[in-house]
Amino acid sequence: MKLFWKTGEPYVLATGAALAIILVMSLTLVGTVMTNGLGYFWPRALVKFELKDGSAVLGQITQEEKNPISGERRLQLKVGNRDVFGQDFRWIDEKGIAARTTPADAVLLERREHGNYFGMLKDVTAEGMALTAATPYEKLIQARTLVAGKMADTGKIKKQMSDLNHTAESLRLKIQKLDYSGKEKNAASISELSAVREKKMAEFTRLNEQATATLAEIGRITVQMTDAAGGSKDISLTEIVALQKPNSMSIFAKGAAYLERVRELLLDDPRESNTEGGLFPAIFGTVMMVLLMSIFSLPFGVVAAIYLREYAKDGLMTRMVRIAVNNLAGVPSIVYGVFGLGFFVYGVGGSIDSLFFPERLPTPTFGTGGILWSSLTLALLTVPVIIVATEESLASIPKGIREGSLALGATKFQTLTKILLPMATPGIMTGLILSMARAAGEVAPLMIVGVVKLAPTLPFDTNFPFFHMDRKFMHLGFHIYDVGFQSPNVEAAKPMVFVTTMLLLAIVVVASSTAIYLRNRMRSKYTTSTF
Amino acid sequence: MAKNFTDKSRRNDRLAEIMIRIGGVFVIVSVVWILVMISRVALPLFYPPSAKIAATVKVPTTISSGTVLAIGSEENQHGAFILDGTGTFHFLKAADGSVSASIKTPGIPAGAVRVASAEYIGKSSYNLLWDNGAISSVTVALASAKEKDGTVTLSHDVTLKDDLAFAASSGIVHSFARPIEGKGAVRIDRLVGDRIRVTHQLAEKDLLGNEQRSTSSAELTEPLPGHLSALTVDSKGHYLYAGTDNGWLLRWDISEPGKINLLESTAASEKRTAITSLALVLGDVSVAVGDASGSLTTWFPTTVAGSGEDKRLTRIHTLRSNVGKTGFIIPSPRDKTLYSGDTGTINVDHMTSERNLLTIKPPAPITHAALSPKGNTLSVLDRSGTLTSWKMDIPHPEISFGTLFGKVWYEGYDKPEYAWQSSAANDDFEPKMSLVPLVFGTIKATLLAMLFAVPLALLAALYTSQFMSLKLKGRVKPVVEIMAAIPSVVIGFLAGLWLAPLIDKSILTVFLSIVIVPLMLLLTIFFWKRIKTASPLQRATRGHEFAAMIPVVILGIYLAFLLSGVAEVNLFAGDFKQWLFSTLGVRYDQRNGVIIGIALGFAVIPIIFTIAEDAISNVPRNLTAASLALGASRWQTAWRVVLPSALPGVFSAIMIGFGRAIGETMIVLMATGNTPIMSWSLFNGLRSLSANIAVEIPEAPLNSSLYRVLFLSAVLLFIFTFLINTGAEALRQRFRKKYGRY
Repeated sequence: MKLFWKTGEPYVLATGAALAIILVMSLTLVGTVMTNGLGYFWPRALVKFELKDGSAVLGQITQEEKNPISGERRLQLKVGNRDVFGQDFRWIDEKGIAARTTPADAVLLERREHGNYFGMLKDVTAEGMALTAATPYEKLIQARTLVAGKMADTGKIKKQMSDLNHTAESLRLKIQKLDYSGKEKNAASISELSAVREKKMAEFTRLNEQATATLAEIGRITVQMTDAAGGSKDISLTEIVALQKPNSMSIFAKGAAYLERVRELLLDDPRESNTEGGLFPAIFGTVMMVLLMSIFSLPFGVVAAIYLREYAKDGLMTRMVRIAVNNLAGVPSIVYGVFGLGFFVYGVGGSIDSLFFPERLPTPTFGTGGILWSSLTLALLTVPVIIVATEESLASIPKGIREGSLALGATKFQTLTKILLPMATPGIMTGLILSMARAAGEVAPLMIVGVVKLAPTLPFDTNFPFFHMDRKFMHLGFHIYDVGFQSPNVEAAKPMVFVTTMLLLAIVVVASSTAIYLRNRMRSKYTTSTF
Repeated sequence: MAKNFTDKSRRNDRLAEIMIRIGGVFVIVSVVWILVMISRVALPLFYPPSAKIAATVKVPTTISSGTVLAIGSEENQHGAFILDGTGTFHFLKAADGSVSASIKTPGIPAGAVRVASAEYIGKSSYNLLWDNGAISSVTVALASAKEKDGTVTLSHDVTLKDDLAFAASSGIVHSFARPIEGKGAVRIDRLVGDRIRVTHQLAEKDLLGNEQRSTSSAELTEPLPGHLSALTVDSKGHYLYAGTDNGWLLRWDISEPGKINLLESTAASEKRTAITSLALVLGDVSVAVGDASGSLTTWFPTTVAGSGEDKRLTRIHTLRSNVGKTGFIIPSPRDKTLYSGDTGTINVDHMTSERNLLTIKPPAPITHAALSPKGNTLSVLDRSGTLTSWKMDIPHPEISFGTLFGKVWYEGYDKPEYAWQSSAANDDFEPKMSLVPLVFGTIKATLLAMLFAVPLALLAALYTSQFMSLKLKGRVKPVVEIMAAIPSVVIGFLAGLWLAPLIDKSILTVFLSIVIVPLMLLLTIFFWKRIKTASPLQRATRGHEFAAMIPVVILGIYLAFLLSGVAEVNLFAGDFKQWLFSTLGVRYDQRNGVIIGIALGFAVIPIIFTIAEDAISNVPRNLTAASLALGASRWQTAWRVVLPSALPGVFSAIMIGFGRAIGETMIVLMATGNTPIMSWSLFNGLRSLSANIAVEIPEAPLNSSLYRVLFLSAVLLFIFTFLINTGAEALRQRFRKKYGRY
């Protein structure tokens, strides 16, 4: 035994335990995000509890907890119906439960506002619409298809309206510009443009009235619901996003519902200040920002690395530069954000505004946070990653290859473009992917230079010039922070945050796994064994 | 053809070389540019203030020879005005000194002929005390407009303020009057023979809308400790302050109609120097006291030990003394700056920072001084009849080295403290911008994180590089590297919304784990020997020990959880947090030091692990081989041979991890309550420099003091991490040199 201690085997075990703790922690993190994120969309049973005090509750069980002293258990229910009950969640003591059932006809209505409604379907009222179906539930389904048709019409009108709005806005800016450059001089064209704009605005108003009328008409189709407490409520069909009878769904129906929710998540707009609905604008914003960033950071990073490795003479200057680059990677991201705000947004953006858009001041165009400034800031932040990766891959190319190429009469530049860069491409790609993963997950600097919780328009659309660099955008990482920490109803928003977290984590983990795989393959390709 | 081709190639080569050099240098320049840029924004905080004479007007002798009661000037120094004893405002053009208009005060009270004195009450308004004791109030509007051709036109007006008017009265030496919002007004008269009278003139509407007018007055009855030498009233008419010729400072509550309630009398100085001037600093909390020796101090009521609930005036700030006596004090209408002086010089001081901003020396002894409504113009009338206007440029008077890094006695506090509170609902608030609580928060978070991360990461790195089977190493290392890529917002979210509530339920689990997991480990080690020698597992377990440890760790934490429930019920009456508060007086925040230690530690573990592992692995294999060949065990080799050689690399790993933890924003933002408090308690939250920037900068107006202070904290973060990283990098390069290839 003494020898066992002397040889230090126990310490080896201790070091092993440290690694074990780290791995357990990582697994817990991933596991927590996965279980919470993946489970959210699965239709859960609506359970009805008859309580001993005579009242009844209908809801989905979200948590169970045991009181450490009395040993009594209690359940947390998501009772929904926020507009009726005032809150989404409710704790009930297990000893107060008289009966527990899962009524087959309990309905879950996903609404545009006030969260979900749980209750029983009583009837459907549809003025001027012949509903042939027999049961209220079938009637509701039938009415929904009719409503969906009309909604599609209003959708078209809405599209026209948004185009008109865009035209009117660009006309307004044009008029403003003319007005600024000389009111008297441009009086004719101003009045001409104003007339066009008036016409557009009138058209807009007309369409708006039309849409409102249609919506009001559809809005009169309502469904009568009763909740577990006995209260009844009329809900307009336009309010309903989706409906389910989770207690009588088969596993396949549940699966289909799950996939539908995933589709909604990836492709739809958010609702209820981001706590429900989809993530499309956030995903789009993140991807576009990351791509823009790569356009800026890749060339500069690669050029700087080539300079350092192939052109600069190895001296004090190069050493200092290398230290500076490594240092840049360690500068806190918030400092880049501060720099972005001071230099890009107020400095460059402010100058662009006063040079090109003086007529719009004091309303800033580029002098406020936007996707361009965000990408530039993040490009600066990730350039060191690319420089280091490129340098490393250039360095790992054996000297013989370089000398061989030069000996055959190729110039340095030819050697670089024809021999070295192709060989270093996997390494550069690694750096690029790593930098993209970092940019996708970075939030702190973006909060300062252009991310918003809810952007009314995407930075890319069908209106000229298609890419709107001055627009603010949404971002998955900021979405997590904002919904999880700034929304008024954090408890109800939590599942959504888990879903977003899972998505972001998946993107980043997949990206960096690829990068690390690529790098390791390249390392083994070029490194000669040292011992 | 061939020659053409080679020429082209050469040309391309040279061109490329130039381009690449330019590109490379550009990147390097931009690195420096970042620091220069953020410093450039922060630097104006420390620029010295300046004042320059913007206009000198020779006042026509017809005006200046009469009794001048008040002067004033316009924001852009294009115009000025003088109020004379007849109640006429003479507006002067700065350009040529001509009188552009003379406007007689409207609404002169019945029976009044001349103005006895005028009191400036802020917002371009003056209370006029007439020779018959009546008071009226007027607002002066003076504005300038610059035409395109450079000519300046002045617009001027004098209007009567209808919320303040008092009828004639006799025996008055000096008067103050204040409107009481929506209710009426109050006048405070200093009467002949050191008497003081307070008259409330109220008009209240009852439910039916009938107006009830009432007048109540009270006269001071207590004897004063000396002769009155200075008097002032706050802007709401609630408190009356007086100074005596033997150095007493008195304070009365006059908010209740018909009553004068002496709150206290305090000796203002040891030598009992006569108090010569009093003024309330913006916000009506502090009173500035000037005395015959020229000193200038500010006071406000604080809770004094032993006096119970009563608050007593305490000397808080001592500002630059004046030459001679402090004849007048003019508070700035915008911030806590005070202009004080006598006939010779004028000192400009900021109360909070105690900075002497400027000392202005007028060309001749002065008779009147005034500030413009926005506080950016100081105008002075001297005995030679010249009216001089200074344009004041004092961008950040409240910022000094002392306010950023030292203890400051802020208004409403009972002692000097480090505090951060950058903004409040009202404008007259005193901004508290001490970086100390933030630096403290940063250091606390970083230290807790390092305490958690360094042992785990280093031990795990040692295991991975020295004891783990090569095949497994190829799998585990990428896993940890991917961990490094987990966005901090994800870790922060889980820490704040998942871990914090979890730990909130059973904080004891964390502490018990620290004891129980190592105990379990010891137990396993004890049995390990048996397992290893008793079975042919020896070969199989070598290099895979950590896998056996995973269940041990999980079991240990679970045991700790079970035990914590038992311990909480039996030892802490079922509620540890309650016990903590009632027995130790420690408040428990849900997002506290434990959470931040775990979360931030988790974020830096992969960084420290990867760099340390690289460093340990790069120690040449021949050293290990030699050690093993000499009969050392694998632990002895790792501990005595490999680790000492890799020490610089390991040290640089710790430093880089440290640098990362210092600047981390999202985790600290989400996993702490962001309360800027200074407490080492594990159960309290904190606010770090980086999180503070993220929280405050979206609300900070461009180029305001707050904006620049936030940039300054970014500079601090930059320099701090730069130093740490450079140190680490230098260590690593030395290490690489020592061991060849890397």
